[in-house]
Amino acid sequence: MPKSTASNQNDKNTISRRTAILGFGGLGIFGALTARLYQLQVLQAEDYRALSDNNRFNFNMLLPVRGEIRDRFGITLAKNSQDYRVIVIPERASDLEKTLDHVSQVSELSPSQRERIRKDVKQNPKFVPILVKDNVDWETFSALNMKLHALPGIVAEVGQGRSYPENGVFSHVLGYIGRAGSRDIADDDDPLLRQPTFRIGKTGVEASQEETLRGASGQLKVEVNARGRIVREWPDPDSRATPGKDVWLTLDSELQEFAAAQFATEDEGDDSGGICVIDVITGELRTLLSMPAFDANLFVSGLTQSDMDRMNNDPKRPQYNKVIAGGYPPASTFKMAVMLAALESGLINPQKKVFCSGKTKVGNRTFHCWKRRGHGRMDMRDALKQSCDTYFYDISQLIGIEPIANVARRLGLGQSYDISIGGGIAGIVPDGEWKRNRLGTGWRTGDTLNASIGQGFVLATPLQLAVMTARIANTLEAVEPHLVIGKTLSGFRPLDFDPAHLAYVRDAMWSVTSEPGGTAFRQFPFGSAPELSGIEMAGKTGTGQVRGISAAERATGVRHNSKVPWKLRDHSIFVGYAPYDRPRFAVGTIVEHGGSGAKRAANITRAVLGEALRRDRLGPSDAADTGSLN
Amino acid sequence: MLSGRSSFQGSSAIAGRSLKGKLFEINWLLPTLVGVVGLVGVIMIFAATDGVWRYGAFQHLTRIAFGAVFMLAIALIDVRLWYRLAYPIYLIGLALLIGVEFFGVEVNGSSRWLDFGVARLQPSEVMKPAIVLALARYYHDLPSHRVSHVLGLLGALILLAMPMALILRQPDLGTTLLLGTTGVALVFLAGVSWRVIGLASLFAAVAIPLFFKFGLKAYQQERILTFMDPSRDPTGASYHIIQSKIALGSGGVHGKGFMRGTQRQGEYVPENRTDFIFTVIGEEFGLIGGLLTMGLYMAVIGVCLWLSMTCKAMFSKLLILGLTTTFALYIFINLGMVMGMAPVVGVPLPLISYGGTVILAVMGGFGLILSAHLHRGVELPRSG
Repeated sequence: MPKSTASNQNDKNTISRRTAILGFGGLGIFGALTARLYQLQVLQAEDYRALSDNNRFNFNMLLPVRGEIRDRFGITLAKNSQDYRVIVIPERASDLEKTLDHVSQVSELSPSQRERIRKDVKQNPKFVPILVKDNVDWETFSALNMKLHALPGIVAEVGQGRSYPENGVFSHVLGYIGRAGSRDIADDDDPLLRQPTFRIGKTGVEASQEETLRGASGQLKVEVNARGRIVREWPDPDSRATPGKDVWLTLDSELQEFAAAQFATEDEGDDSGGICVIDVITGELRTLLSMPAFDANLFVSGLTQSDMDRMNNDPKRPQYNKVIAGGYPPASTFKMAVMLAALESGLINPQKKVFCSGKTKVGNRTFHCWKRRGHGRMDMRDALKQSCDTYFYDISQLIGIEPIANVARRLGLGQSYDISIGGGIAGIVPDGEWKRNRLGTGWRTGDTLNASIGQGFVLATPLQLAVMTARIANTLEAVEPHLVIGKTLSGFRPLDFDPAHLAYVRDAMWSVTSEPGGTAFRQFPFGSAPELSGIEMAGKTGTGQVRGISAAERATGVRHNSKVPWKLRDHSIFVGYAPYDRPRFAVGTIVEHGGSGAKRAANITRAVLGEALRRDRLGPSDAADTGSLN
Repeated sequence: MLSGRSSFQGSSAIAGRSLKGKLFEINWLLPTLVGVVGLVGVIMIFAATDGVWRYGAFQHLTRIAFGAVFMLAIALIDVRLWYRLAYPIYLIGLALLIGVEFFGVEVNGSSRWLDFGVARLQPSEVMKPAIVLALARYYHDLPSHRVSHVLGLLGALILLAMPMALILRQPDLGTTLLLGTTGVALVFLAGVSWRVIGLASLFAAVAIPLFFKFGLKAYQQERILTFMDPSRDPTGASYHIIQSKIALGSGGVHGKGFMRGTQRQGEYVPENRTDFIFTVIGEEFGLIGGLLTMGLYMAVIGVCLWLSMTCKAMFSKLLILGLTTTFALYIFINLGMVMGMAPVVGVPLPLISYGGTVILAVMGGFGLILSAHLHRGVELPRSG
């Protein structure tokens, strides 16, 4: 037993010693841990604090509110509206396809829409909301809201959209907005373009005034968690988004709507064509309308296939901006240019009469006057008044094409204008060089004859015709059109015509509308409105041939427009200005296949010109006041 | 040495008959410290779950309370009973581990659980106190001159190797190493000669690299490699370590304030309610909070070591020391892992991390320690 006790005692000593060893070992480990904690929390604390902030904060882009577009009186043409939209948050939707099926039951999703949603979902982190459908109408929106509990991941929210309240008559001018494409992003390094919900101007004023309208993005400091979801926001007033500025146009929205109403027909819907009302002093465009109009809101919400088909198959081509991009033979409205060229050349005595038998023979070709029986003896003024083709066939042979083309260009034809809407064409003022370059053949006398009555190669847009008329009315300056208020303007070039020549032309134009026998004569051009009584206008008709008239037709006399198919009817053209003595507004009107210029286009022009004058005197109506102070 | 067969010989012992008397005899310093650590856990879980009481803090509190009752119940049981039950408990633990082998429930690719319908049990948790009980009894029974003998060593090795092998197969590297280290510590404490220690170290130097190469699964190797070089996989396994270090480091000396940890709010540190709860302490209470927590643990360990000194019997001493070693290893591995000094293995911070089994196991362990201390005077049979 003593041995055992001794060994027991020995055991005790050993175990105590070894306990101490392990105890100190443990203390050492605690020491090492403490040192490590000191290293992390004292020596490297700053670094880790920075890393922690790095983790914690993100900067989210704040989208600016887009500027509005208004007419000259402040009426809103393009505004920001509430956009009811449906979005999906993929991480909350357990089965995306099934969820979309359910949404489809309430609001149809096309296969292409679903394809886009799938693509967006794939390209973004799971917590990023993806647009399912926007511009949902209120009924659908509320129906979806009712069903939300059964649609995990679907959120119905109200966002900022764009709407064009004025019946589509500004669609061509305003253009529309859309998501930035890859080309837009390549051209513009503004990070806003990469935001999936941001929209930029695609066409029209929306595109040309993008810089003004867009504004600048802001930043929102947000605290995010490890999965990138926002935990808290730290708003800072200094980093808010800068809203875009409004753009004011020179247009008068009520006049534009009035003009659009004039294109309505009883049985064939809206006529196709374009009209432009320009201030002859300032060049401000009061109306710039292409008909038929279309609803630009359709483009905002995404065109359906049936809308697209309907537009593309419409022979009146609603999307086509005819007022600046439609090139038409100006027909007899071109005769003012020929007259001016004749007067300037000194080769023609305006009093000298030319006999019109109804046709002229040049070489072996016969050129007909519109009046087959002929006008008889005509001087220059009468020739314009009655629009005698033979007279112009005759004098144009003497002056030649080059002076005519020169005058036409100085009057504003054959060039495109920068009016902040893309797509305007230059039209054609043909001459020898043009024909050589274009067709590779030499200029022939017949070409001159055709050009002298605004047919053949000559092409002009309603805008150009309005500019031409404005310059004739202005006398002194080469008026140029403009559309956006506030754009820096350089003074107009001098027009450089003999004022006496222009006065002669204006007088002839007055005779067209104001003397019995003029092709567009009316006793009271502006109707019976008392405020416009005594005001006279000047103008010129034009009937643009769409097709050659066959000898057989000539023989049988089948020429009346209503008896040929719409597509083959003549274009109806009219230019004019008023008041005759103190010109204020000039108008260029083309009605596609509208028949004689003395009728459709002249009627529209008279009505619109009258309305323009009336509005100019009265100022904006009460309705216009409401929009101006917003 | 079979005297004192039934007499209770606590320092101011009245008798083993009065439970109430025994309750007063318990060393109350240890349960108090343990309770304080548990309350730290409640507070930190409350913070980690964004102040939602029922997301863990409440459960933790009830578990601590339950655990305390469990601890005291075990403490009151005579250590001689534990002595007698040492091997049976060990065998039950072994049987459960074998059961896992066949009927284990697989969670995250490793089967560690046994499903008993009403409750799930993690047999490796049972094995932690069981191996200590078994080895303590083994060395208590082993005459001291046999400790460094081949046969003596072999017995300990067998006791240790069987559960280790079974746990490694689950696979659960962390627990395997914890068990092994505890076993080695007990062998060391039992007085194995320095010669044997030297030889064993030599052997380990050769065996460990081989074990790494052939004994570990690919993901386990990856974890250790990632720990050695965190840039290996910045978003994968080491993401844990990096975010954990950011949380601690950004806390600084004073911390960001209770419930104000941004790393925590942002959920940057995964598992910060369980294994990574020390990041919440470090982030919100800074170096001060971290050191106080570590101080509490040191106090608990210190008290345990002191308690072991007061015991007469080899079994009691080794029981206390073995359990204390396990407890300390939990802390070291967990803190080392959180601070980026040890590989990421799933070892909780005892009493603070959320998790029921661990609380029960750890507090049961303290119950055994208290029992050993309470009955420190008893004579246990020992062959000389």
